[in-house]
Amino acid sequence: MVLILSGFYCVMGIMPLFFGNTAYIMNILIMILIWAVVASCWDVIMGFAGIFSFGQVAFYVIGAYASAILSVSLGIPPVFTIIMAGVITGVIGVLVGLPCLKLAGPYVALVTFAVHMTLIPFLRGPLGRAIGSGGSQGILTIPPINLLGFAFSSEQLVPFFYLTLFLTIICTLILALIIKSYWGTAFLALKDSENFATSLGISAFKYKLMVFGITSFITGLFGALYAHYVGMLSTKMLSMDVFTILMIMMVIGGIGKYPGVVVGAVITVTINQLLAPLGMYRPPDNGRYCSSSGSVPSGWRHRPGSKVFPFTAKNRLIR
Amino acid sequence: MRSKKMVFEIIDVIISGLINGSVYALMAVGLTLVYGVTKAFNFAYGSFYNMGGYFAWMLLIPLGMIGGYFSVFFIAIPVFFVVGYLLEKVLVSPLRKYDDWEMKVMMLTLGLSLFMDFGYQAVFGPRIKSLPGMIEGTLKLGQVVLFHQDIAIFILSVGGMLCFGWLLNNTRTGMAVQAVAQNPAGAKIVGIPKDFIFAATFAISTIMVGFSGILLCQKNFVDPMGSTNIMIKAWVITAFGGMGSISGSLYAAFILGMLEAFVGWHFGMIYVQIATLTLLLVTLTIRPRGLMGRE
Repeated sequence: MVLILSGFYCVMGIMPLFFGNTAYIMNILIMILIWAVVASCWDVIMGFAGIFSFGQVAFYVIGAYASAILSVSLGIPPVFTIIMAGVITGVIGVLVGLPCLKLAGPYVALVTFAVHMTLIPFLRGPLGRAIGSGGSQGILTIPPINLLGFAFSSEQLVPFFYLTLFLTIICTLILALIIKSYWGTAFLALKDSENFATSLGISAFKYKLMVFGITSFITGLFGALYAHYVGMLSTKMLSMDVFTILMIMMVIGGIGKYPGVVVGAVITVTINQLLAPLGMYRPPDNGRYCSSSGSVPSGWRHRPGSKVFPFTAKNRLIR
Repeated sequence: MRSKKMVFEIIDVIISGLINGSVYALMAVGLTLVYGVTKAFNFAYGSFYNMGGYFAWMLLIPLGMIGGYFSVFFIAIPVFFVVGYLLEKVLVSPLRKYDDWEMKVMMLTLGLSLFMDFGYQAVFGPRIKSLPGMIEGTLKLGQVVLFHQDIAIFILSVGGMLCFGWLLNNTRTGMAVQAVAQNPAGAKIVGIPKDFIFAATFAISTIMVGFSGILLCQKNFVDPMGSTNIMIKAWVITAFGGMGSISGSLYAAFILGMLEAFVGWHFGMIYVQIATLTLLLVTLTIRPRGLMGRE
């Protein structure tokens, strides 16, 4: 795990030396970094804690909008709004987690997905306009991050890339430490057998809310970073293709196989860019990809002995 | 005078709630059946609904089918059955041997839904399509005006549900479906072909949602991107009524149809979804198994 992650970030760290002048590739690299962390958070909540949360994109958008609204309407410097957005998203994540505590599998997916679906009319309608979401037009002029008089705008991508890399490494370290620590083991125990885990003294209440809080905090942080990077937001981010692309990253990387999802993010963002000439046929192709990789047991990190394809010769013989 | 006008408006709203509720009931009963029997969480349900709409549109407008809706319904039943049966056999049932197959089925159907939605856009174009009405004309009862089409939709959806209930209770296949829902292992011992029942249930739910697509798309439009809304609506109804409980989803469908009509009339259409989802969140927080769910 450490090897893959450090190798990945070392390679990412020297990338600007080669592609620093090409804005297109730098943009892809930044998006890979952001998506890798967001997808890792989803992996922690779904693969380790075993909670079928479908609200990851919603948390991402909540973070982005929170930071944008705070910096545009109230004029707070983006450095603070990003952290505030993370805290707000974390609180909302805990609030969403509360009804999910008593519910089983598909119900949790439904509730979290319901949050996702409620956000669209909320942000587009008069309620969202009242808090400054800009209705269906969205927010167009989000100020760039300004740190000690230096603006990380989207015109100079290399400094922004290193800022993102720095934050990514910190958040990845936090996630990796959580997974390796007692907490991560507690998540796994709750996933495998909740009754047994609670009988050993692991509080399901505490750890489930904790995983909701932590993952939504980090997701909100990166949503805010994204908002200040692109400089404009709309409810288009809540459409199903973003959701599916994020899910494809996780499926390709393997759910619950932590660094896998980072590799999944690299593969998916690259493939998605390479598929751009397909134009309007790209989203259905992604959908096909999602359905087909659903049938591979554990993503790219499957063990050679495990059954990858449902129809092997041995299976047929037994039948 | 003002209050009298208000009364008639409210009657109109109730009628529209009843009609929407009856179609939602048809949709939700199919979904709750497939969840109760196979425990598969179908995310592509809204796309099947749109499939119904596009199927009717294709037969009626470009092909100009003789017999109008009569022949559409006749052709739709076997076609939807075959589509649902094959989808279950090819896509869902191979996943069933894995431990976490529920999650895999969710992802698979999500991908399928996206694939189908953009497939519709690629084939039929991104514009919304309008279906012709089933029957023209209106029926006047004093001050209240009823469209013949609305009455036909109500009768067809209620009739479809009654027909389904008869099939479930009086035929051998229907009883086998109930047996598998109650106790899969016991059903296997008695010799009920489980795989066939799973596929047949999936196919029947496809028929029901396709039918409700044909019915409701006459009032609304066939929107290639509207499938997520429909899917959420169907799932909210099933979760609200209690997953796997057919009577629960019937009540829930009518309650939600009414709620939608009243919220849309009093506050505006943009609040409909917020109201439905708030109702879902509150219900699941207070009573996690839904209105009539067993546990």
